[in-house]
Amino acid sequence: MVYAVQMKQITKQFPKVLANDHVDFDVYQGEIHALVGENGAGKSTLMNILYGLYLPTAGEIVIKGESVRLGSALDAIRHGIGMVHQHFMLIPRLSVAENIVLGAESQTRKRGIFFDRQAAIQKVEAVSREYSLQIDAAAKVKNISLGMQQRVEILKTVYRGADIIILDEPTAVLTPQEIEELGEILKALKKMGKTVIIITHKIDEVMSFSDRVTVLRQGRKVGTIVTAEVDEKQITRMMVGKDIALGGHKETTAFVEDILTVRGVNLTGKQGKRILADINLSLKRGEIVGVSGIDGSGQTQLAEVISGVCRPDSGTVVYKGQDITRESISVRKDQGIAFIPQDRHKDGLVLPFSIQDNLVLGFQRRKEFCRGRSRINQEALKVYAAEKIKEYDIRTPSPLQPAETLSGGNQQKIIAARELSNGPELIVADQPTRGIDVGAIEFIHNILTERRNEGCGVLLVSLELDELMLLSDRIVVMNQGRIAGIVRPEETTREEIGLLMVGGTNVKDEGEGRDDEGKR
Amino acid sequence: MNSSVIILMILSVIRLSAPVFIAGVGNMFCERVGILNLGTEGMMVSGAFGAVLGSSLSGNPWVGVLCGILGGGLAAAIYGIICVEFGGTQAIAGLGLNMFCLGFTTFLCSAIFKSNISPNVANLNHSELLSGIPVLGSFLGQLSPLIFLMILVAAIAYMIIFKTSLGLRMRSVGDDPKAVETAGIDVWKVKYLGVLLCGIICGFAGAYMSLGQLDRFVMGMTNGKGMLAVIAVKMGRWNPLGIMGTALLLGVFDVIQLQLQLNHAVTVPPELVQTIPFIAGIVVLSFQQSGDERPSSLEKPYLKNKYKF
Amino acid sequence: MKVKGNGVDARRASSIMTPVVLVLLALAVAAVMILATGKNPVTAYSALFYGAFGSPAGIINTLNKAVPICFCAFAVSMSQKGGTFNIGVEGQLLMGASACTLAGIYLNGLPAVVHIPLALMAGMAVGLAWCLIPAVLYIKRGVSLLVIFLLMNSIAGFVLQYLVLDRFASGNALVPATEAVKDSAILPYLVRRPGKLSAAMIIAVICAAVLYYFYNKMVAGYEMRATGLNPNAAYTSGIDTKKYMFYSLVFGGMLAGLGGGLEILGNHHRLYTGFSPGYGYDGIPIAILSGGNPFIAIAGSILFGALRAGSINMRAMSGVSDEIVSVIQGLLILFVACQYIVKYFLNKLTVRKSPFTAFDIKKGGTHE
Repeated sequence: MVYAVQMKQITKQFPKVLANDHVDFDVYQGEIHALVGENGAGKSTLMNILYGLYLPTAGEIVIKGESVRLGSALDAIRHGIGMVHQHFMLIPRLSVAENIVLGAESQTRKRGIFFDRQAAIQKVEAVSREYSLQIDAAAKVKNISLGMQQRVEILKTVYRGADIIILDEPTAVLTPQEIEELGEILKALKKMGKTVIIITHKIDEVMSFSDRVTVLRQGRKVGTIVTAEVDEKQITRMMVGKDIALGGHKETTAFVEDILTVRGVNLTGKQGKRILADINLSLKRGEIVGVSGIDGSGQTQLAEVISGVCRPDSGTVVYKGQDITRESISVRKDQGIAFIPQDRHKDGLVLPFSIQDNLVLGFQRRKEFCRGRSRINQEALKVYAAEKIKEYDIRTPSPLQPAETLSGGNQQKIIAARELSNGPELIVADQPTRGIDVGAIEFIHNILTERRNEGCGVLLVSLELDELMLLSDRIVVMNQGRIAGIVRPEETTREEIGLLMVGGTNVKDEGEGRDDEGKR
Repeated sequence: MNSSVIILMILSVIRLSAPVFIAGVGNMFCERVGILNLGTEGMMVSGAFGAVLGSSLSGNPWVGVLCGILGGGLAAAIYGIICVEFGGTQAIAGLGLNMFCLGFTTFLCSAIFKSNISPNVANLNHSELLSGIPVLGSFLGQLSPLIFLMILVAAIAYMIIFKTSLGLRMRSVGDDPKAVETAGIDVWKVKYLGVLLCGIICGFAGAYMSLGQLDRFVMGMTNGKGMLAVIAVKMGRWNPLGIMGTALLLGVFDVIQLQLQLNHAVTVPPELVQTIPFIAGIVVLSFQQSGDERPSSLEKPYLKNKYKF
Repeated sequence: MKVKGNGVDARRASSIMTPVVLVLLALAVAAVMILATGKNPVTAYSALFYGAFGSPAGIINTLNKAVPICFCAFAVSMSQKGGTFNIGVEGQLLMGASACTLAGIYLNGLPAVVHIPLALMAGMAVGLAWCLIPAVLYIKRGVSLLVIFLLMNSIAGFVLQYLVLDRFASGNALVPATEAVKDSAILPYLVRRPGKLSAAMIIAVICAAVLYYFYNKMVAGYEMRATGLNPNAAYTSGIDTKKYMFYSLVFGGMLAGLGGGLEILGNHHRLYTGFSPGYGYDGIPIAILSGGNPFIAIAGSILFGALRAGSINMRAMSGVSDEIVSVIQGLLILFVACQYIVKYFLNKLTVRKSPFTAFDIKKGGTHE
């Protein structure tokens, strides 16, 4: 077999992290090769090195038999490597055609320096037909769907002549159907002789798409295997090093009381875009309600309306029998609503603050942390921090370390420790396990189910359907700001949920006169 | 008012708006690649001094203009190294550049000319070539030839930013440098180009002030025009046409306040009258709807990987 | 794989070294310029130093000049703590000084112990007011704070000219100024010979202590710092970020106004058009260099005060024009703007051995 890519003993030392430790990575010509590992294993770093965005600290790269130095993306592109990043590298303001030809405009120039829009559109449409990747060349990127944006990204690579295509977590933002379509695209690319490397942490996709799998763990390569010869459990074990039980421990509970009722909530955004439309939902004490849907269906905004980050245009949010629709975040906090925001760096932590200071963010005015009513009680903070670091297994040499020095999983545990320790009765968690290592995921699952068992109501937003199926008592599926359906995990299938995500409706749950169990 | 007064006023508006207009166009290149430039004043004063120096050494005002452009370019080179290469805080660096250039040009002026004001030099205050044209000749002739050059420069700038692939790259860098880097483009080269273009155009603006409007260098002669240019870019939505409109508007207010000072029928204290253009600026800014044209990565430094630690 | 770092210690070391290195760099570059014009930088700098610190009179002069810069630095620092950037301190200083002077001139029959605080409060109130419109426009309408402040600074300059040359002119043909404030409004002196050092310096130190206590020991200080470091996270946690952004600006304006007032009551005793050679703009790099620590800000202000105080002696002794002071300050601000890079280079120089095993460097390149 001919090698398309050989990465030999690649090592990447960042100032505080050894991201890749003497990794050997080989890809055959014309295969679909999956690169897996949990978050923080070093997969993205390795591929960024292959794409020229980082220079390795040591090691050698051989492309099609030739030893090369990839000092920039241009070097990689010249050697036929293309990359589709996890967060799309597109300019929203520009059109699809302009985004695709950016960097290779010499092929679409009039009289030397002027940019020929028409030529660009024509060329792009030609390539799109050749590869059966359906796009709208003249549309502005800010107006097209995520699925089309991904096709644009793939087209970008083949337009520049890539025959080695890297995809970084391509299915993170896709519906189940779109994931299948992606599978077809990859197979088609393989038929055309392309080599595909796909980075993912989702094992089921690995099984369905790939020919071989390389597993990384903590910066080192664990092994490379032929997909057909292994099963999911084996791969998981290679990824994590042990057997992990996700999903927490749910016990049967006997709570019947509704703790949260959302009625008729509507939210409109800029330019009249509908963000939430007629949301009706109830949450009981002692239950986990999962919220699923493709990214951007309104889940985050629903979480924000309940936690107080934003106010709906109309409708009510009733908590413990009281209308809190217009209440501030701090009042809701005092009443027992805990919020784990989606973006821990942007909304959850003050990164330059120490772990200790982050542990009281939002609770700094509580009696136990203050001296008098306006001064900080440093000793109480110290004691509290030491307690929580132990209880939540936050790995750090000192509570005074800035939060930015911690790994994603540990950072998320700070937020969990903070929000879940002050007697919450309703927990709103928006993608609490996104981008963290499996050990931390296990911890979060355990703590959420523990609180649920104690009588908390939990609203859990997640893009990982497996997680929701494991943890939820009920799953709300959202589509374009509406609730498309509410199902029980034991009574439904992934396909049914996938259909609801894209607009089918579970007729049982629309409108007035029906409660959210579908009963009149 | 009779027509000759109106003509004089129009001429005044043109003369007063010109430096703000063209410095604004220069600034547009800088901001379009994502770099805020509060140091416009510094680039302009470097151009003003360079122009006078060149004119005095060579006796030819056009050589002076070239030297002015060079002066602005040198200031821009410093700014580029700090902001593009080293990813410095742009707001601070701009203020620092101003202070440095203002101080340095005065320092050089007193070292070379032994005074804070240079001697008179060959200048370009009028366009004798054009005064022969029928009808408009006497009007056009009173404007410096640099003004006509400015219009040409602005037209070229418009074409560059909106019609060429370089302009496409610049606008892309200003929105999302990371996306552009993954497309295989050297983001920093594009940013440097934007800053340098800004410098040479602002140097040209400074040259106009010292050679086109006046005939000497006076310390600190740019007197706030640079800041007005920064404002003009924002109010003009990063588009040469909008910048021209804003500059003219500010110029109109400037002429109004000068007229009020001359016209003793109105007893408004002259110092307070001078605040009118600035208050007008505040009013316009407060009512402007923030639109979509702002370069998304404006003011965000984009550091090379090698400088991260 | 994470490695335990000594993050806290390394940070401390570089935060002390960096300001020192920046200052030395600026002085070095200016020295080259002095050389280029044929003068001797060593003589120039020694004359500068001697003028600033070489005699009791010089020290007093330096401290006097440091005071207004100090308050402006406090103001800029406070705005940074709250996540904003107050470059309007120059205008707030000018207007605060004006209000304070007028209160000092035209309030009659009050004993000093009442007159001085009243006049200073007038200065603080007007300094605060001068910051109000920009703050409101920024927080409510998202207008560019930078641009509005710059415009307000220019307007303040004109208003000051109007007050001194027109409305409240004292008629003295030689020096354009207002009348002198009443005796009851003159700040007491700590030292009278060989130069007059007012109590303003003490007020500055007290202010620094109060600010330090506020930032680090009070809950409101914690909330303000959270707002400044991450307004999104602060808001999500329930903190009223708009309130703190607003306070960080207007209380800064108040501090700048106080600084202006102290400068008049303690030093000039009347209002001149040019009494501030840009104290507000001096405060900005000092605020950044000080990293938000008010005591370091005092030290930095003394440095800048020294530059200004010693420049006259420098011109007399070495013939170097005092514009070089602007050049040094400009250079310093430029270096402050890229202090991250300076830290990077310092880091490279000081961290010799990587604590990990050395790698062979093959074709991967090494300059990462």
